[in-house]
Amino acid sequence: MSEKDANPSAKDALVGGTLFGRWEKLRGREGTVVGITAILVAVFPYLFARAPVVSGFLQGYQSLATLILIWGIFAIGFDLLLGYTGLLSFGHAAFWGGAAYAAGIVAKNVSGDPIVMVVSGTLFAVLLAWVLGFLSLRRGGIYFSILTLAFAQMFYYMAASPLAFLTNGENGLTGVEVGSFLGVIHLEADVPSIGGMLLGTWLYAFVGVFFVGAVAVAYRILNSPYGMVFRAIRENEQRAEFVGLNVWRYKLMAFIISGGFAGVAGSLFTIHGAYVPLQSLFWTESGDIVVMTVLGGAGSMFGPVLGVGLYLYIENIVSTIQALTIPFTGIVLVRDFGFYWHLLLGVVFVAVVWVVPDGLWGILNRLRELAVDLGSKAAKRLRARSENGGGGQ
Amino acid sequence: MTLLETENLVKEFGGLVATDDVNLTVEEDERVSIIGPNGAGKSTLINLITRRLDPTSGDIRFKGESIVGLEPHQVVQRGVSKSFQTASIFPDLTVRENAEIAALAAERGAFGFEFLKHRDSLTDVHGVARDTLDSVGLLDRADTIATDLPYGDKRRLEIGIALASEPDLLLMDEPTAGMSPEETKSTVDLIERVKRDHGLTFVLVEHDMEIVFSISDRIVVLSRGGIIAEGTPDEIRGNEAVQEAYLGGVEL
Ligand SMILES: Nc1ncnc2c1ncn2[C@@H]1O[C@H](COP(=O)(O)OP(=O)(O)OP(=O)(O)O)[C@@H](O)[C@H]1O
Ligand SMILES: [Mg+2]
Repeated sequence: MSEKDANPSAKDALVGGTLFGRWEKLRGREGTVVGITAILVAVFPYLFARAPVVSGFLQGYQSLATLILIWGIFAIGFDLLLGYTGLLSFGHAAFWGGAAYAAGIVAKNVSGDPIVMVVSGTLFAVLLAWVLGFLSLRRGGIYFSILTLAFAQMFYYMAASPLAFLTNGENGLTGVEVGSFLGVIHLEADVPSIGGMLLGTWLYAFVGVFFVGAVAVAYRILNSPYGMVFRAIRENEQRAEFVGLNVWRYKLMAFIISGGFAGVAGSLFTIHGAYVPLQSLFWTESGDIVVMTVLGGAGSMFGPVLGVGLYLYIENIVSTIQALTIPFTGIVLVRDFGFYWHLLLGVVFVAVVWVVPDGLWGILNRLRELAVDLGSKAAKRLRARSENGGGGQ
Repeated sequence: MTLLETENLVKEFGGLVATDDVNLTVEEDERVSIIGPNGAGKSTLINLITRRLDPTSGDIRFKGESIVGLEPHQVVQRGVSKSFQTASIFPDLTVRENAEIAALAAERGAFGFEFLKHRDSLTDVHGVARDTLDSVGLLDRADTIATDLPYGDKRRLEIGIALASEPDLLLMDEPTAGMSPEETKSTVDLIERVKRDHGLTFVLVEHDMEIVFSISDRIVVLSRGGIIAEGTPDEIRGNEAVQEAYLGGVEL
C-alpha cells in the first residue's frame, strides 16, 4: 500500500507545500488510528482475562477476547454497508457462515494452513457476495433486506441437508484440524514471555493482526472516494445517480466489501473453534450482527466493535451469573439471573437506542463533549475570577 | 451546433398526455427558457431529457446521439446535468463534500475501483469543487454541514452540485422556487454570472416572467404538454396565442 501512496504525495508536493502538509497530517492521523488500535488489541486480553482486580471484576477469559475481535471484524465490515451506505442486509450469515464452512472444508480436504483457510474462506464470501448482491440490490429498501434474508436462509437449508455430504448437516462440520502457522507456530500455544502475558495465545495474536488490518483497510476505504460516495448514496441516492455516479455498481461494491470482511471473520471463526456449527448460517446470526452494529453505533468505525463487546459479554459472561446479589450483603435479588440474558440484552438495546440513537459510540462522544464543555466553562470561570481581582464578592 | 433535440417526444401517464409530440432543439451557447401554466408538462419534459422518466414514444438526441437507452448517470456523463426543483442535496455531508461528489463523477467517471486511494490525493476533484463553490458564493461555508444552510443557500448549493458536474447543458427546474426576493435576486445574478463566465448552454424552467425575459435567448411556451409558441422574448411578448393560453391576457 505504501508505494502506491508515495506517488500522490510527490505530486501534491509539486502542486503546493500546503497541500502536501495537509496530506501528511492526514496520513499521520491514519497512522495514529492504526497504532492506537494495535496497542488496544495488545493490552485487551491482559486486562480482560489476566490483570489483577480488573479481570477479576470482569471475569473475562482468553477465548472470549479472541471471539470479540473476530466478530469485531465482521461488524466493521457490516457497518460499511449499514451505517455508511445505508443498506440493511439481513443475510450476512451467508457470508459469515459460508466462509466458515469454506475454510473448514478446505482444511479437511486440502490444507489446514491457517492462511490458506482465511484466503479461501474470504474468496468464497466475496464471490458469494457478488452473486447475492447482484440479485438482491435490484430492489431497494425493505425488499432488498428481505431478498438477502431469503437467499441466506436458502444456504442454511442447503447446508442442512442436500449438501450434508460436504457440511455434515445438522451436526456441524466436525474434525477440522487447523495446521500450524508457517509450519512452526501452533496457534493454541501461548506466546512466550511478555507477549504471552499480554496477548495470551498465538491464536489471539493471529486474529489480532487481522483485526488491526481490518481497521486499517476500513479506515482507508472511508477516507477514499468510496467513503464519500457511500455516504452520498445513504443521504440521497437519487441525487448521487444524477451527478453522474453509477450508484448500482457502488452499492454492489459496498456489498462485496462488507461480504469480504464477513468472510475474513467467518474463516477466523472456524480456526478459533476448529468446528463450524450449522447455526453459523442461520438467520439469527444475521440478526445478531445488525443488533451489535446498531447497539454500538452504526455509521461510526469503532462503535460496532463496542456493540460486539457488550453483546458477547452479556451472552457469555452475564449469562453464567447464578444469582444477582446486592454487593457485600449476600441478599439475592434475582435467582437464575443469567437465564434471562436475552431479556437483559433486549432491555439494554432498547435503552441505548432509545436514549442515544447513535449507540454506545454516541454515548462516548457525548461524554467527551461534556468533558470538553465543562473544562472550558471551568477555565472561563477561573479566568473571570482572576480578572475580578481574586473574587471580591 | 445543435446540442439537444427531441423528436416527436410523447409521455403519457395513464390517459394523461403530459408531453405531447414535442420537437425541441437547443443550440450550443443558447439559453432557452420553458414557460407554461402549472401542470403544462415542463418538469416532465426535463425529466424525460435526464432519463428520470421513460418516454412513451419519440427520440431524444444529445450531440447527435440518441440517449433514450441510457441510464441517468450515463446521460450526466455525456454532459447533461440538472438542478432539481427542490433542493436535492446530501444533507449530512459538508458543503465541500456535496460539490466534491459531483466533481468526482465529472473527473473520474461514473465508477472506479479506487477504494484504497486516499481522498486527499484527488487534487483535480478538489480543484473543481473549490472553483464551483467559489462561483456560487459558498466557498466560505465549505465546512458547514449542508443541512445547516439557510434555504436560499441550499438552493445555490443545489445549482453548485449541478455545475460541479461540468455539464455542457444545464437544465434548471425553477431554481428560484420558494425563495425570498433577495434570494431570488442573488440566484439570478448567479445564473447570469455563470452564463457570462462559463458560456454555459442552459434550459431554464421558470415562472417569474421578469427573469425569463431578461435571461433567455429564446422562449418555448408549453401548454397541455405541447409547444404552442416559441421565439425570442420580444416575439413571445407580442404573441397573442401565448397571451390567451398562458398569460391570461395580462399586459407584459
Ligand atoms: N409521475 C406522474 N404520474 C402521473 N401524472 C403525472 C406524473 N408527473 C406529472 N404528472 C402529471 O403530468 C402533468 C404535467 O406535470 P408537470 O409536473 O410536468 O407540470 P409542470 O409544468 O412542471 O408544472 P409546475 O409548474 O406545477 O411545476 C400534470 O398534469 C401532472 O399531474
Ligand atoms: Mg414542475
